[in-house]
Amino acid sequence: MSRLEARDGERIDRSQPVSFTFQGAAVEAFEGDTIGSALYAAGRRTFSRSFKYHRPRGLQCCIGHCANCQMNVNGTPNVRVCATPVSSGDIVKGQNFVGSLDFDLMQATDKFAGPFTPPGFYYKTFIRPRKLWPLYEKFLRNAAGLGVLDRKGKREARVDVENRHVEVLVIGGGRSGLEAAITHAAEGRQVTVVDEGPEAGGALLSDPAGKGVAADLRARAQAAGVEVIAPAIAIGIFEYGFVPVAVGNLLLKFRAERIVVAAGVIEQPLVFPGNDLIGVMLPEAAKRLVEWWSIKPGERAVVITADDRGLEAAASLRTAGVLVALVIDLRVEQPPNIEARGRRGRLHAVSVNGETVKADLLVMSGSPQPNAKLLAQAGARVVYDASRGIFVPESLPENVEVVGSAAGDVGAPAVPAAVLGHQGDKCFVCFCEDQTPKDLAYAIAEGFDSIELSKRYTTVTMGPCQGRLCSTNAIRSYAKTKGVDENTIGTTTARPPYTPVPMGLVAGYPQEPARRTSLHHRHRDLGARIMWTGAWRRPHSYGADAGVEAQNVHEKVGLIDVSTLGKILVTGPDAGAFLDRVYPNRFSDLKVGRVRYGVITGDAGRIIDDGTVGRLDDETFYVTTSSTGADGIYQWFGWWNAVWFMDVQFANLTGALAAINVAGPASRELMTRLSDDDFSNEAIAYLDARAVTVAGVPALALRIGFVGELGYELHLASPQAVHVWDALLKHGADLGVAPFGLEPQRILRLEKGHVIIGQDTDSESNLHEAAMPWLVKNDKEFEWVGKWATQQVADRGLRNMLVGFESPSGAMPVEGGQVVVAGRSAGRITSVRHSRELDKVIGLAVVPVALAVDGGRFDVQVDGRAVGMIVRLGHFYDPEGARLRS
Amino acid sequence: MKDIFRKQKILKAPGRLKRHYDVVIVGGGSHGLATAYYLAKHHGITDVAILEQSYIGSGGAGRNTTIIRSNYRTPEGAAFYKESVALYERLSAELDFNLMFSQHGHFTLAHSDRSLVVQNERAEVNKLLGINSRVIDRDEVKRLCPQIHVGDDVTWPIQGALYHPPGGIIRHDAVVWGFAKQVCRSGIEIHQGIEVTGFDVRDGRCHGVRTTQGNVSAGVVLSATAGWSSPVAKLAGVELPITTSILQAFVTEPVKPFLDKIIVSAQMHIYVSQTDRGEFLIGAEVEPYPTYSNKGTFPFIEYSTRHVLELFPQLHSTRILRHWTGLCDMSPDYSPIMGLTELDGFLVDCGWGTYGFKAAPITGVTLAELIATGKTPALIEPFKLERFYTDTLVSELAAAAVSH
Repeated sequence: MSRLEARDGERIDRSQPVSFTFQGAAVEAFEGDTIGSALYAAGRRTFSRSFKYHRPRGLQCCIGHCANCQMNVNGTPNVRVCATPVSSGDIVKGQNFVGSLDFDLMQATDKFAGPFTPPGFYYKTFIRPRKLWPLYEKFLRNAAGLGVLDRKGKREARVDVENRHVEVLVIGGGRSGLEAAITHAAEGRQVTVVDEGPEAGGALLSDPAGKGVAADLRARAQAAGVEVIAPAIAIGIFEYGFVPVAVGNLLLKFRAERIVVAAGVIEQPLVFPGNDLIGVMLPEAAKRLVEWWSIKPGERAVVITADDRGLEAAASLRTAGVLVALVIDLRVEQPPNIEARGRRGRLHAVSVNGETVKADLLVMSGSPQPNAKLLAQAGARVVYDASRGIFVPESLPENVEVVGSAAGDVGAPAVPAAVLGHQGDKCFVCFCEDQTPKDLAYAIAEGFDSIELSKRYTTVTMGPCQGRLCSTNAIRSYAKTKGVDENTIGTTTARPPYTPVPMGLVAGYPQEPARRTSLHHRHRDLGARIMWTGAWRRPHSYGADAGVEAQNVHEKVGLIDVSTLGKILVTGPDAGAFLDRVYPNRFSDLKVGRVRYGVITGDAGRIIDDGTVGRLDDETFYVTTSSTGADGIYQWFGWWNAVWFMDVQFANLTGALAAINVAGPASRELMTRLSDDDFSNEAIAYLDARAVTVAGVPALALRIGFVGELGYELHLASPQAVHVWDALLKHGADLGVAPFGLEPQRILRLEKGHVIIGQDTDSESNLHEAAMPWLVKNDKEFEWVGKWATQQVADRGLRNMLVGFESPSGAMPVEGGQVVVAGRSAGRITSVRHSRELDKVIGLAVVPVALAVDGGRFDVQVDGRAVGMIVRLGHFYDPEGARLRS
Repeated sequence: MKDIFRKQKILKAPGRLKRHYDVVIVGGGSHGLATAYYLAKHHGITDVAILEQSYIGSGGAGRNTTIIRSNYRTPEGAAFYKESVALYERLSAELDFNLMFSQHGHFTLAHSDRSLVVQNERAEVNKLLGINSRVIDRDEVKRLCPQIHVGDDVTWPIQGALYHPPGGIIRHDAVVWGFAKQVCRSGIEIHQGIEVTGFDVRDGRCHGVRTTQGNVSAGVVLSATAGWSSPVAKLAGVELPITTSILQAFVTEPVKPFLDKIIVSAQMHIYVSQTDRGEFLIGAEVEPYPTYSNKGTFPFIEYSTRHVLELFPQLHSTRILRHWTGLCDMSPDYSPIMGLTELDGFLVDCGWGTYGFKAAPITGVTLAELIATGKTPALIEPFKLERFYTDTLVSELAAAAVSH
């Protein structure tokens, strides 16, 4: 055990023991420990195996930056245990090894593969024979990756999202952050501080003299009304002061008027042989082990440092009883030759200029880098300060400021050499990806000589630390190899997130609930098979045979819920003129009380939607759209009127109104039973619109015939739909009334040759080739949207045509089946169904215009062979429309 | 095998930019490099300069989500991409550079009847052309990809899928470097860090380019500048029917092999694959607003992760590592624009939207042929710029709600 006697200011609560398991064995810890500190206290030194060479790795940063302590915690792989608070009952396991963490068979790659696996080796090998590649690939894939994902894992944690607005958001609650917060608060601003650590204080928390200062600053901040949230991770700074912050399972979405970045520094490793051995760590790691968790990190230590951090760590180590055998301050001298030597991956001795000191702990500190990652992501530049060896942020985005060490206020550290010592194989620039200066030089020699190319080729900075611990050293290495300065090399583009965040946290909860009509539960009660149609849930059919349901409409009377139709009220003095511009056909001459079909085309003359338009009075039109087109057409109208400024308003009534289509020869009788209004052919003729009262409920009745029979589409307030639906079923029972779903409706409309936009048309369909030239009215006073392009189609000549067809053999092509001419695709089946009424397979198809003659034959690919179909122009059912008008 | 012990000069730095080349290719992405490669290989044309404003592969080639497939909707598109996949399958050996083409199958999920019809149509078009594609039901989706969640307790339950076994992922940078390696060996010059600032247009003909390192005359100039196509063509006075938007993607931390298939959901605007490195690579649809600002947005991360977790709830704790954007040059019919323009001597290769990378080799073959012979190969005849004047569009739109 490495735990020290109780110390002042320690972060563990010795009265609160916590127990968890590591590799199945119990580990005792205290409240306030992290999993990493508890394991270290229990004597564990090997925490992980590296990505490429499977070298054993131990604690290096202790603040959750590096990848050295990634383990599987409670089934979740790649958890950085050094910064994960311990919880009773945690199940912790190592990862990325064959055998055990301590004896990993894959470590052979370190002994043997090194020289054979230079950067990009996989681009040069395993090329021939090609058929063996899948085997090699499997091997490479299994070697890559770190932790193992639980294949049966479920999303259990509840995640919440909260939107916040603040005047000032301070990112980083160290000394400068808290001081900035207190100043802003004193000037009357509302301030929130977020900090990565367990509480605000930053570097002060691991400084024996600083703990009191931190407590005092926190108290002053609280008194000033500053809100402090910790631990909390700012994920990124996005445009307009948007900063998402992860707080456990809560995602706080801040919109800040002003952002103060006080993110401190990121301590940097030094590059020398053996710099990845277990026992080589950064100053903050050594300090936290001692000051936070009262652990004696080792027996004999060597400190090599470019700034005061190493010296501070040495002081802490001494108080813990560690013998600090050697301190090298790089500001005084830079020894040309440093080497850390290990036994079985653990530090054993440090050799400086040939002089060897026994040590099991080496604290290294390069020039600490301002933590400017968030700023760089937000668009700031970072510029190299050669005198101090640091990258300093400049040209900050609007309303963003940076304070403290993040701004470059780090004193005057030494600038360490790119490599301190002989550049050996085990001298790491990038720990996540096991890349050495030799590897980088190799990449440059192969021609990957810009930082971006070299980064991609060697993958340096692309691992889990995302360049935190390797970017500066890599740039230094490139600069040295190429003989240019660091600013010429430049940095790679900084990308969010600031630190890796779990998908489950940012995903929040589902926000796209299904849309259901007000009759949905009636459909369920009636045994409907529900289907997904875009966002809507709709009845497919109510019984086993959709054909029977369709027949009932032909013979008796059926009800279908068409509430999903888009419904837009267009009102105002210019309403008619407006519709004349957005539809190819004319509506300003539509008589009050009449309905007309319309198709909407886009600027390019392509069909985008269809529906009916009824005129309710001089200045009021009731427009229906397709179910999927509802929102789009509402926006389309508004968008165009933003150009035209016509005196017209639009109200989207899609959700507010339900619609029930009552169709079939008995529908008039049914309506008469439920209404005092006159439903005779004289009172409500085909294509009439009338205000009526049905079952006591005011409704708009549109006499239209999508399904080909006498029928009334009733539009009424959604809350009353259930009442009307029930009344229709009840009073029509003896008439044989029955609900019908979408599938029978599709059969019925196909018998009439009515198109469904998006199914029988695609993004290139136009009015001429969709066989609707009768809708084109070019004699209108104004241009209509798509007129020019539609005329172009007529002028260039028609190429294809949407036609009806029947399958003489009864063979059923699939929808999407290809019309084949001379072995090539020449068109497609857009809709096909068996019609019980006609006892035929019928459909719609796009065919070359030459084939679009009644009785013409064309071939369709069905199950790999060509099957003949016969073109049928005109409607299959009731071609004269007698039943619609009856 | 001994190659790996030896450092090879893969990318060679060229000498000074000359004042004349037979062919100048603007843009050092996968298309520009592939065109140069096939100019040398098929036609022996090596007096060629590639001018890249940044570094090779810095645009779409280095930012795409590496999916290769040929299951397109239009016969023209499918036939074109079929050749591309065939070339990709041989390319590692041809370039002597392992592109790590991993062909484990591509699934385009259908979440509605309507979508199934579109997938059927693609399958039927593909079958006629001998492309391996078929529509499978939900049970088969689950059988072929057991990791995927197929329950009804999600916003968009899976109804079936278009299954395309040859679909796969490839190491995208390797494609760039592999082409570049052979291009360098052929003597063609790759000039990085040179920006084209204008074109020498006289008498209705493009005679060369103006660059940040002087003027260069050329017999033929090809603009293969993807996201920057509109502004570059404008410098030559050629207007393109293109809008430019961003597409966003992210990768997660690497984990051991979990998924070797490519899963695409048009309805949910996402596609998911796991790279050979073990990272999950997740991309979305083009953002609906035109912009050249390569700035990622947080809402993208939110909705795409939400959708990924509906398909793969196992990934809930998997961490997002890096999030980036790329430019997409969208044509009105979601098909590319390739070849001659009204300006003699100025060719374009653009309108690649979200599907350019997967076309790199066949684009190279066909454009090289066009440059060498002056005749448009039949395979790219349908993709001429002229189609917007003759109204012969090639609509991938119905299928391309998400286009990967």
